[in-house]
Parts: sequence; structure tokens; C-alpha cells
Amino acid sequence: MASSSGKSAEGRSEAASGLLLVSPTLIYAVLLLAAPLVTVLIYSLSLEGGGFGFDNYVTAWSDRINQLLIIRSLTVSLSVTLVTVLLAYPVAYFVSFYVKPERKSLWLFLITIPFWTSYLIRVFLWKVILGFNGVINSGLMSIGIIDEPLQAINYNVPALVMTLAHAYAPFAILPIFVALEKIDRSFLEAGRDLGESQLMTFFRVTLPLSMPGVIAAVLIVFIPTVGDYVTPDLIGGGKLPMIANRIEGTLLKQNNRELGSAIAVGAMIVVAVVSIVFLLLNRRFLKGAK
Amino acid sequence: MTTKDAMIEFRDVHKYYGDYHALRGITATIRPGEFFSLLGPSGCGKTTLLRTIAGFEDISSGAVLVDGRDMAGVPANKRPTNMVFQSYAIFPHLSVEENVGFGLRRDPRSKDEKARAVAEALEMVGLKGYGKRAAHALSGGQRQRVALARALILKPKVLLLDEPLSALDKKMREQMQVELIRLQRQVGITFILVTHDQEEALVMSDRIAVMFEGEIAQLADPETLYRRPNSRKVADFIGTMNFLPARVLEENAGAVEIEAAGFGRIHVDASQVMGGATAEGATVGFRPETLTILYEGSAATDRESMATIEEVVYFGDMTYYDVKIDGTETPVRISMRNVFGRPVLDRGARARVGWSPGALVLFR
Repeated sequence: MASSSGKSAEGRSEAASGLLLVSPTLIYAVLLLAAPLVTVLIYSLSLEGGGFGFDNYVTAWSDRINQLLIIRSLTVSLSVTLVTVLLAYPVAYFVSFYVKPERKSLWLFLITIPFWTSYLIRVFLWKVILGFNGVINSGLMSIGIIDEPLQAINYNVPALVMTLAHAYAPFAILPIFVALEKIDRSFLEAGRDLGESQLMTFFRVTLPLSMPGVIAAVLIVFIPTVGDYVTPDLIGGGKLPMIANRIEGTLLKQNNRELGSAIAVGAMIVVAVVSIVFLLLNRRFLKGAK
Repeated sequence: MTTKDAMIEFRDVHKYYGDYHALRGITATIRPGEFFSLLGPSGCGKTTLLRTIAGFEDISSGAVLVDGRDMAGVPANKRPTNMVFQSYAIFPHLSVEENVGFGLRRDPRSKDEKARAVAEALEMVGLKGYGKRAAHALSGGQRQRVALARALILKPKVLLLDEPLSALDKKMREQMQVELIRLQRQVGITFILVTHDQEEALVMSDRIAVMFEGEIAQLADPETLYRRPNSRKVADFIGTMNFLPARVLEENAGAVEIEAAGFGRIHVDASQVMGGATAEGATVGFRPETLTILYEGSAATDRESMATIEEVVYFGDMTYYDVKIDGTETPVRISMRNVFGRPVLDRGARARVGWSPGALVLFR
């Protein structure tokens, strides 16, 4: 009895000291993350004449423009995710499998170099490259391949995807790299030993075992790009708004907090649903990865 | 010039890692259907040699032949060998039956037949009914069995085992040793085992190659290896051996007359004379069980010496005595089977030690 009560007291004090340790973070999270979210949620549910209801949601999502914009946002972010992960995987694979162990940290360091400049400057850089009077157009014109600037490379979705994919590449490379590093190399030898070529061993062993990293990369790229609003503004030149631009316009320019909040919460739900699908896929792969 | 009774042939195999000379001219033949062991301390090149058979390690010069075919340029997936890895390498994302059936993808048999083959393989290794389990839910011993089933289902000409028992506890290891021998007899495939455990090698193998520093020091059956080690180094590595300095008196057609302190003059037959002495010069070696402590009424032995018991280590079925034979400096170890009614002697007691010149080995 005595020992058990002593243990629980010890457990309580341990919990208390643990709470003390996380409390700055906890206060931060409650004040700056949870509280604003709750505020937005309350706004989205409050009605003009007082009281609460779903009217704002009905108004927001029966608007054809909002529907089109969320579809565009999803298209852009899913394309960015696809492009980024497909391009990041070979880089991560190369660093994990072909770079000497003592050189790996140098390579990871080099991969993070784009972060040395601010995101805004990188977006402007792409504008300089892809723009109407940009490097590509003026270059091609000066050597006489084209007579007038190509419209196809600016102010459109592919330009948006290219810019975002470049920005998010390191975020995708790192989790995939970590997943590949964790794969015991004897699994790959076992694949070869059991009669599979290098390519088939990749598809049957390496790829499934690295899926947790791929799914992590997908989530890390997908979630922020859906809500991106600087890039469509700058690269799209205002002609390619995504859902975040719409939320900003409704909340700030039209000063309609209730409707803006309803669009924001709706967009969040869409992102959450897509992310949960990815997470469930992840669970399937994580199940065996011990 | 392939030999009919060679499943594996190493011809002057060398392997360099940069400047490091890992394999230094390995030449050996492994017979079909043999349980063969590569035994040696860590870093002796035994695993490297095994991996040259599997195709995971290129050789710098020489040749490795499997069933008469030179393996140069043959990738691992095209070799008629399969391996049980030290870590077992059971794919964590697949179930037990998916693991066992991994190598059957291009097998022309129907799905049902393959499933039956998987079930049979699992039954053979004693894992009947485990097919649906997740690989990560298995114990070490079960993983090992899955690794065996996964390799044997492909009916390789040679099964390579890279320290497969080192991760198991003692009881499990002994049980698996017996099972591996049974399995090898049942399937009749050549097994090549890499181990640093000399006891394991002695228990399981038909023949053993003892390796030191990239070279084969001795290749023989377990009994020869134990009774007639060809160098002091091999003798020291395998089991326990007592060493005492000796002086060579005369030599006659291979046979040698020696004088060893405490033992007197001994005639050593040519078959007992080995090379491989250390800098200390000629040495006689004898196993602990070739010496006997003589009790009243014990059967007479060829020769006798008097000794003082310095240390007694009691093991239940056995007792180890460290005794100092009169006229010698270093104690020698004697192992005696404990028999009902025969007392275990005390430290400090005097004892008669019986021995036979035929049981010793001379390194010179």
C-alpha cells in the first residue's frame, strides 16, 4: 500500500513537472493557434441578425466562384505535390544510396541552400525567369526562335506549379531521405538474392519500405500549398486567384468576417479530408515498418 | 577441369578493399550435399568469402565456381544460391506467407500451387499455420525459420547461412542447430555456414574451414580439426588445449623424441607432429579430456605423472581441475566426467595424472 501510494505521488509530481516543461508551448499553442481557430469557427457560424446557424456556409459554397477556386487550389496543390515528390524521390535516393556516409550531411546542407533567400525573393526570381519580358522570352527572342513573348509560360497554372514545386522541394527530399536511410540494406540484398533484378527490388522492397517518408512528404507539401496566397498573387499577376486569395478578399476587402470565415473553415475541412486519406494510406504502410 | 564432386570451388580468390587484403588466396572445394562451415574470429574474411558465392561481393582476382560454372559477371539474382542473412532480412511490410513466396513471382506455377508450396515450406520449418501473421510479430527464432523457408522454397543448389544463430539465446540456438542438421539431411542441399562459434561448427558440420586473416588455416572434418589441429593457432581457437614447452631430442623419419618437463621423454609419431609453432618454439598440446585423474582401482594408462590440484571448477556433469604437474610451472586443465560414488577432489590435493603419448600433438 505504502509503496503504491508513494509511486502515484511520484507519478503526479512527474506529470506536474512535465506540464511545467510544456507550459510555454502550451500557452503559445492555445493563444495563437486554438483561440484564433475557435474565433474563426464562431464567426463562420454567427448570423447577421444574431444567433448561430449554417447560413454562411450555404452562401459561401453555393457560390460558383468559391467552388471553382477550391478546385483550382486542389488542382494546383496536388500537381505541386506530385511534381515535388516525383522530383524529390530520386534526389533523396541518390543521397541515401550513392553518396558516401561522410558526405551525406554536406549534401543535405546544400539542399537547404534555397532557404537562404526569402520565399518572396524566390517567387520574384521565377517571375524574372518566366515573365512576359523575362529571361526565357527575351532570350528566345534575341536568338530569333520566337517573334513575340510566349504567353504559355506566364500567368498560368503550370507557372504556379513550377514556382511552388521549387519552393517545397527540400521539404519533400528530407522525409524521403530519412525513410530511405532507415531501410536495412540487407533487405535489398535479400530482394536480389531471391531472384529480383535491381529495378524489381526497388519496386517490391525499397519503395514500399520508404512509403512512410513519401506520405510525410506529400502531406508537408500538400497542406501549405492549398492555402498559399502569395504565389498566385505574384506569379498569377492577380489573374489566377486561389481559395486563400478569395478568403483574404472577403475578410479584408469586403470586410465580411462571417462569410470569409465560412470559406476558410470549409477549405480547412477539404484539406483535412484529403490529408486523412493520405494518413490512412500511411497507416497501412507504417503497420509493418518496425 | 571442373571436378564432378565440387559444388563450390574457390580458385586462388583474392579480395582487396582499397589497401586492405581481405581474402588472401583462398583455394578450396566444397562437395555437393555437404554441411560446410567457415569458422574464424571476426574480421577473418569468412563472411566476405560467403558473400562472394552469393554475388554480393566482387572478387579482385581468382575464380568462384558454383556447380562447375564460373560466377564471374553473374549477378546475385541469377545465381543458384540463396542466403539466410544474419539479420534474417524478413521484409517488414509483408506477411509471413508473402515473405516465403517472395521469390516465386516468376515461377510459372499457378497461384494455388504456389500457395501450396508456401504452406509446405512453412510446415517444413515448423511454422504451419503462421502464414497470415505479420512479419514484425514474430520472435527471433520464428524469423529465422521464415528466412529458411523463403530460401529453401526456391530449391537452391547451395544454401548460404551467415551467422544465423548468433542472435538467438543459448537454448534456442541449440535447438536450431539440431533442426538445421535435420533440414539439411531432408533437403540434401549443400549448406555453407559462417560462424565464429567453434562449438556450433563442430556440432553441425561435415567439414570445416578455419580461417584467420583472409586465409584458410585448416580445412578438415570436425574430429581431425579437434584431435589433429595443424597449428597452435587452430588448436587454440577450437576448444581448449593445454600447451607445454618441449625440447626435441632426436628425429627419425618424421617421428620425434622429445623431452617435456613433468612428462619426461616422449616418443611422438609422425602423424602427431604439426607445424605452426609460435615464437616460443616446440610445444606439446593436449586436450583437457586426454588427461585423467587416477583413483584407486582406475584402469591403468600408458604413462603417469604426479600433480597438485590448484583449482576446482564444478559443472554438475563435469569437473574441471587446474593441476600443476610436478616439475612444471604452468597449470594444465583436466576435465573429468563426474561419476556417482567418485568424490570430487579438493584444492591442494595430490593426484596421479594418467595420460597417453598418442593423444598429444607436437607443434614445432
